[in-house]
Amino acid sequence: MPLTIQRSDDGRVVTITISGRFDFDLHQEFRQAFEHAEEEDARYVIDLAEAEYMDSSALGMLLLLRERAGGDRADISIVNCSPAINKILTISNFHKLFKVA
Amino acid sequence: MADDSAQTLTTKPVTGGSTRVLIADDDHVNRLILKAILVKEGYAVEVAENGREAVVKFASWQPDLVLMDIMMPVLDGYEATRQIKEQAGDSFVPVIFLTALSDEAALARCVAVGGDDFLTKPYSRVILKAKIDALERVRRLHVTMRQQRDELAGHQRRLLQEHQVAEKVLAKIVHSGSLDAPQIKYMLSPMAIFNGDMMLAARKPSGGLHALLGDFTGHGLSAAIGTVPVADIFYGMTDKGFSIGDILATINDKLRVILPTDVFFAAVLLELDATHSKLTIWNGGIPDVLIRRTDGQVDALPSDHLPLGVIENDQLDRGVRVVEVEAGDRIFAFSDGFIEARDASGQMFGLERLTAALAGESDADVLFDGLLRTLGDFVGSLSLGDDLSLIEITCDPNWATARSTGVPRAFRPRAPMRWSLAIELIPETLRSVDPLPLVMHLLMDLQGLQEHREQLYAVLMELFSNALDHGLLRLDSSMKQTPDGFVRYYELRKQRLAELDHGRVLLEIEHSPDRVGGLLRFTVEDDGSGFDHARVFAPLQDNVSFFGRGIPLLKSICDRLEYSGSGNHVEAVYRWGRDGATDAPD
Repeated sequence: MPLTIQRSDDGRVVTITISGRFDFDLHQEFRQAFEHAEEEDARYVIDLAEAEYMDSSALGMLLLLRERAGGDRADISIVNCSPAINKILTISNFHKLFKVA
Repeated sequence: MADDSAQTLTTKPVTGGSTRVLIADDDHVNRLILKAILVKEGYAVEVAENGREAVVKFASWQPDLVLMDIMMPVLDGYEATRQIKEQAGDSFVPVIFLTALSDEAALARCVAVGGDDFLTKPYSRVILKAKIDALERVRRLHVTMRQQRDELAGHQRRLLQEHQVAEKVLAKIVHSGSLDAPQIKYMLSPMAIFNGDMMLAARKPSGGLHALLGDFTGHGLSAAIGTVPVADIFYGMTDKGFSIGDILATINDKLRVILPTDVFFAAVLLELDATHSKLTIWNGGIPDVLIRRTDGQVDALPSDHLPLGVIENDQLDRGVRVVEVEAGDRIFAFSDGFIEARDASGQMFGLERLTAALAGESDADVLFDGLLRTLGDFVGSLSLGDDLSLIEITCDPNWATARSTGVPRAFRPRAPMRWSLAIELIPETLRSVDPLPLVMHLLMDLQGLQEHREQLYAVLMELFSNALDHGLLRLDSSMKQTPDGFVRYYELRKQRLAELDHGRVLLEIEHSPDRVGGLLRFTVEDDGSGFDHARVFAPLQDNVSFFGRGIPLLKSICDRLEYSGSGNHVEAVYRWGRDGATDAPD
């Protein structure tokens, strides 16, 4: 599975794990991952340990998630980034909008 | 599908009317039996007594299915089938061979000439009907598929045509600037617009240059659509004398409104001042912009900002980097496609290889081609469809004095009138507005002096920034002589402007007609009270070293230039001729 979703027991933390290429092909699945989220104040963790690559449409998906999760109030962490992915996030300055670890 | 009328034979309605079966058999009894069975089952039937007749009837009657005997006089079943299949072209007309033969070679030959099934004598009504119905289902499916295929091909043709038209229209809107100037080299794929890549360059009214390299998320029409407002804003605002900060804020505001959340615009905007000695750059989401110095050193200017169209304007950071450049320095900006290009093993080209290619070449004139060649060698071969954009801008002080060729003849000066205006700027106003674009706008509106825009802007800009920087903010121009000081100068300027609590700059413009055109008299006065004007005025004399142009430039443009008082009052007179020449004979 290129994309898996895990909720913490109290439902407050949603972890989305992505493996392989994080690009436009995941668009549908990624949207579905948070479109049905009922918890308005959920915290999101995007785990990219298994992701090899990320393109600009993946960045667009992250912006969609951010909007859905409350815009400026959103609490989204992007964790386990490879150096290549980190570089893409750095060029786009996405650490100004997301917690990048 | 009106254009398909030529294919009536092959696009006969799928439903309606009974299935038409042609029987070809030289045996009278066989024909009678088969015809009786089929008519009773509700099929429409025609008969042929030999292969030749079958081929002729096939053409005139256009059956849906053929029952074909093998051994017939004149033309046998094999050859008749071959000819019928040839006539049918890519429409599917099933042929069922009627045969008593059971040797495999004969059956194989039936298949080879295009036969679709066999029926062995004696005929069973049930099997005959089952076979005809089965093949009829296949035939109908085939007709439907072919209609859909033709429809799809038609759509594709139209889409391609529309793309070509859109590409031409968009290219005209987007690429109408100064990209073709001799100081600029660039590579942009012909399909770049549909990759969301764009590149713009335009002369500033003051003689400097604005350039933009950008990349919309995604591909296709959705990526292309945003390029139009971006180009419009870029060219329109550059022409009116706005700074890159104002331009990027306007672009951001527009894109926030029109783009969906997941589409954004990574872009770098840069400004070279008139003497090409100062580079101002704002980079949001584009890979490092590289400056290749004349001595081979390569400096990187990384992305400091989020791409455009992501956050609201009130959160947008307009902070720019200001770097000193000299004649011969080359500025390289490129899309991420450039550094992400991969070799056969999947490895990326990367910024390090790119930097090394720039540093390793001693002849600056071949840098651009060398870079493309290095990349080409790395990936194997470059094709025009690749998502690669690259621009090289050479710092060339001589360019600033070259006259702009882009002034549309539609702009004609208005008949000279007598008017004057005065603006007083206090600290609060100085902090929040740049008065020059507004004053320029007024000048253009009142007197229609588009052809004099560059010169007028340069005069205003010089007079105003001297009054503000040296009069009110008391900045020492000698600071700008080292690269460090250059940056410190701008930091200090920002800080002092923020802290400024008194003083004013007075700007007066007076216009009066003369015999051939008009006279513009600019008066600028500052009251940097409480400090020594003479000391501040002194550096103005060797102005070239700090603002790069200053007094000599003003003197070359203006008819008269006079400082008075303690140097805080300056008057400049600019004369324009009705024919558009500034130096019209008196």
